[in-house]
Amino acid sequence: MDIATYKDDVWGQEVLNGVSWDLLWLVIVLAFIFIAGHAIYETTRKRAQKPSSKGARVNRHEAIDRLFHWVMAGSVFVLLITGIFPIIGLNFAWLEIHWIAGIILTIVVVFHILRSFTQDLSSMALGPSDLKEALDETVKPGKYSPAQKSMHMVVSILTLLVIGSGLIMFLQIETPWWERPNSLSEATLGLVFFVHGISTLGLIGVICLHIYFGLRPEKLFYTRSMIKGWISREELNAHHDQQRWNPDETT
Amino acid sequence: MASFDVMPEVQLFQPAELDDALKLADELGSDGWLLGGGQDTYGWLKDRAKQPRAMIDLNGIEALQGIRKTDDGMEIGAATILRDIIRNEDINRDYSLLSQAASRVASPQIRNVGTLGGNLSQDTRCWYYRRGLDCYRAGGNICYADGPQSMNREHAVIGASRCVAVSPSDTATALLALDATMVAENTEGQRVLAAEDFFVGPNTHITQMTALKPGEILSAIRIPKKWASQRFYWEKVADRDVWDFALVSIAVSMAMDGNKIADSRFVCGGVACTPHRLTNVEQAVRGRTLSNESADAVAPLASEGCKPLNYNHFKLPLMENLVRRAMRG
Repeated sequence: MDIATYKDDVWGQEVLNGVSWDLLWLVIVLAFIFIAGHAIYETTRKRAQKPSSKGARVNRHEAIDRLFHWVMAGSVFVLLITGIFPIIGLNFAWLEIHWIAGIILTIVVVFHILRSFTQDLSSMALGPSDLKEALDETVKPGKYSPAQKSMHMVVSILTLLVIGSGLIMFLQIETPWWERPNSLSEATLGLVFFVHGISTLGLIGVICLHIYFGLRPEKLFYTRSMIKGWISREELNAHHDQQRWNPDETT
Repeated sequence: MASFDVMPEVQLFQPAELDDALKLADELGSDGWLLGGGQDTYGWLKDRAKQPRAMIDLNGIEALQGIRKTDDGMEIGAATILRDIIRNEDINRDYSLLSQAASRVASPQIRNVGTLGGNLSQDTRCWYYRRGLDCYRAGGNICYADGPQSMNREHAVIGASRCVAVSPSDTATALLALDATMVAENTEGQRVLAAEDFFVGPNTHITQMTALKPGEILSAIRIPKKWASQRFYWEKVADRDVWDFALVSIAVSMAMDGNKIADSRFVCGGVACTPHRLTNVEQAVRGRTLSNESADAVAPLASEGCKPLNYNHFKLPLMENLVRRAMRG
């Protein structure tokens, strides 16, 4: 199985053409092997009693951040469907929908980056203390666990790569605002296609895991908080160190 | 690109039954090559620009041959040669648009072996693509024909999406104007596609010209009675009057109510990756008579929405003038 595909450019020189989409099946299989393995491990593990969602509630996600998350999720799904379906043989006029969804994703990501400067950036930053938390179950995290921070970091890198390469590709096609410029060499185009493809494959794997963890029974309260905004005081006590994260109560 | 004097070695199957051909097509999938008259095929193979594992010769299959009258019009086997369509009395009487279009395909020698199915399914003539360059259509990530220095005189003026190649088929425009349907068969059954859905543009499938899937065979073309013996107009403009592909062509069917146009189909060839229906012209001519005034009124609509490339602006007045000539009566 190849990682990349190559082609001859107009001068007969071999150049990169893009990612090998055979890797798509490898990514999906690996993601599902991990999910199956983790699910089996979790069913055999002794679990502490699930904290109640009743009683006092604390605010975890502002409405604007929840909106960002779901708009981003929606645009990523549209991008994956329009990008991947034609590759696996489900053909339709995908390109315009794809770049429109790409613009939406770019706008919400830029918004998120700008907004993050008004928020507590350190709550999402990975540091040496996260290693201690990951290895010792008795050490509770602040607002985000090491796993959540790692997921955020990987998604951030892959999303920035996919947006960056996608914008370059977008500039190379005809749109209502400009004609096709043909401004890149074939070797550069191939590299851009490769980066776009490989970061897409990475995102597919990470999104599979993200959805799996979001639906796991013991993590479901995080998903609820991404919809409704709150977690209960009991859930906060059970999973977080209030010295490091002590949010306001909400009604 | 290297040039070759001889054909490459390729396995040849010559089934006598459609079922056998379908099984072979199913087994070979995209490694197989369906052979009609071979007029598009042999160039690809000789140049090694396409290298199928095996060819399935459809010419010995009786079910794919012949022109038959049906309850709803006419059915033409996909392996029927163009000469037989041109000479068929029923087609000449009821669907002369098709026989006119078929009579302008290439040369008499090619029409003697070229099949209707082959003419409809043939690949584009974009020379960058046919030279074997790895363009979008060949699985690459660039269109060599759409650049500041590209030779794109024959290319698309509308409907392009990354690839700017055009459909070269003369009979395709006529069949679209006749509301024909295409019967595609595979080992599990058959699909009947409207001609408009049979031809696919690069926005939907950048490496294919038709909706035929690997393993499928175009078995027949059905023409409904709707347009039988109606008023037709066909014209093809090419660099040479014989043996050339259309720069722009037009196929028109008109149902008349007295001296007024009740319904019509205007289809242009050579301007897009698929035969291009001029729906705005069709709407504008409804209720009009055939006259110079009508012609002048609707002709400018023909090129609406077109975006010419560097060297094919001439196609826009050609489209308009062909509509004008069709409307003069």
